[in-house]
Amino acid sequence: MTQARTPADPSDPSLPSPPPVKNVEFKALLLLVFTALLVGASVLYLLYSRGAFETTQRLVLVADDSEGVVVGMNLTFSGFPIGRVRRIELAEDGNARILIDVPTRDAHWLRQSSVFTLVRGVVGNTNIRAYSGMLTDPPLPDGAVRQVLRGDASAEIPRVVSAAKELLDNLNALAAKEGPLGASLANLQAMTEKLNGPRGALGVLTGNDADAQKLILALDRTNTLLARLDGLVIKADGLTAKADAQVFGPQGVMPDVKAAIGQVNALLADTRESLKKMDAVLVEAKAVGANARVATEDLGTLRAEVESNLRKVEGLITEINRKWPFKRDTEIKLP
Amino acid sequence: MPQVNQTLHRAARAPWRWAVAWWRIVHFGALMLVLALSPSSYGAANRQAMARHIYLDTAPVLTWFTVLCALVSLVITRIVVVTALSYGLTQYALEMVIRVLVLELIPLTAALFVALRCTIPNGAELAQMRRRGQLDALRAQGVDPVASELLPRVVAGMFSVITLAALSCVVAMVLAYLAVYGFTLAGLPAYTRMFGQVFNPAVTLVFTLKTLFFSLAVSLMPMAAGLYESNPAGWRTSDELQGLVRVFAVLVLIEVVSLVGNYY
Repeated sequence: MTQARTPADPSDPSLPSPPPVKNVEFKALLLLVFTALLVGASVLYLLYSRGAFETTQRLVLVADDSEGVVVGMNLTFSGFPIGRVRRIELAEDGNARILIDVPTRDAHWLRQSSVFTLVRGVVGNTNIRAYSGMLTDPPLPDGAVRQVLRGDASAEIPRVVSAAKELLDNLNALAAKEGPLGASLANLQAMTEKLNGPRGALGVLTGNDADAQKLILALDRTNTLLARLDGLVIKADGLTAKADAQVFGPQGVMPDVKAAIGQVNALLADTRESLKKMDAVLVEAKAVGANARVATEDLGTLRAEVESNLRKVEGLITEINRKWPFKRDTEIKLP
Repeated sequence: MPQVNQTLHRAARAPWRWAVAWWRIVHFGALMLVLALSPSSYGAANRQAMARHIYLDTAPVLTWFTVLCALVSLVITRIVVVTALSYGLTQYALEMVIRVLVLELIPLTAALFVALRCTIPNGAELAQMRRRGQLDALRAQGVDPVASELLPRVVAGMFSVITLAALSCVVAMVLAYLAVYGFTLAGLPAYTRMFGQVFNPAVTLVFTLKTLFFSLAVSLMPMAAGLYESNPAGWRTSDELQGLVRVFAVLVLIEVVSLVGNYY
């Protein structure tokens, strides 16, 4: 290309003659349009990627420490980014306010019961995550303010290290030569030696030889006692056999008892017969009672007849008295 | 002794010459800016020259540079992704590729490429024209050589840098996406979000300004050298080499300033 544009001869004062390019203005215009389109499309894509063309709603997260949070970082839900941090500001009460824009199309993942966490990993950046347990709850309103829960892996490290150090100190104290572990091991060694000694485990249990000796004596006496107990048991067996013969033998008490029971049975049968006779007598008595009731009813009728006859006699006497000449004057004459 | 005196004399004059050269560059830049913003610079004759320079400075190198950039981008992307995978940091691989390639390497490479391929030869050509008196001849004809010869070259150089950088950045981004996600659209939302996170307003501003200043440096400095530099015989061997060194120093300076702006 540069060779094509070598200057003209120095003796020629006119301009160097350029090689002719066909339609150069049109081609240059095409190039200009191409570059303009390229830059314009890049700008549009950049605006789209920055979320300039989507409607958003505001969410404010309040944290006691916003370390690691940067403008532009994501709010994720189930690993999917659904919002961007737009601003971080310090509130009047000293807390950090993280202003997040959530696109309206993703806002339905956030509910009033949603929980927000700010997690800072040991390696890597900080993450703001949303958890919505109840997706049937009412949706989060625009401009909602929520407290964010902090889970900081690196903040735990000093605590873990100090706890581990404490544990190691304790272990060192335990394992020291004069420490409890050393003393226990020495005792264990002494015990093992005793176990291997003439008294064995008995020596370990009693602690000294005299007591072990006493224990062995006690064992011997227990053995003797057991032998005597055996003799006693044999005697008790003989005694039991004798008692058996006296009670259940042919000359024993049992046959007499049996005969007595037979007599009692006969007595009971007689008693049953007597009771049956009593029943018959009672039936008779009942019949007599019934007859007496009938007779009583007849007596009522008789008495009624006698009463009516008496009334008739009384009426007769009254009639006679009226018709009789010395009938009394019953009228009362007033003066 | 006279030789020693002459050397000392030259050494004493070096800072002065250096300051004058830089002042000429700044002055030339201001002049070009004024001319570029004047509608009278886009007359029919100038427009023809400008179209020709824009086409010849950009079109022949566009394909080759894009292919070259695509290859280098692919290799670098692959290296970064594989390394990130082995360390379990895949989520940062794409971000790193975009930051390294699109933000830093490609604009610098495009500017250097345009400087070597177009603007420094253009500056040398201009110097030759000046030495042969062609510029004076133009002035004698009543044509302003700054508007008719320099402005088209400067505008073409700037346009070339911007076009090469833009196209190569887009190609590198597409290749990085393909290298990580393969031929699927499934990763596009995540990629777009990551892109938006990398290009926050400050980074975008620094990137735009950097590319603009790269294109200005690459276009203006060789032209200013070609227009003003009096090349004493035996003092400098080559206009092109001297222009390249100066341009390269300015490019590195702009890059360092942009890095400071991005990461501090």
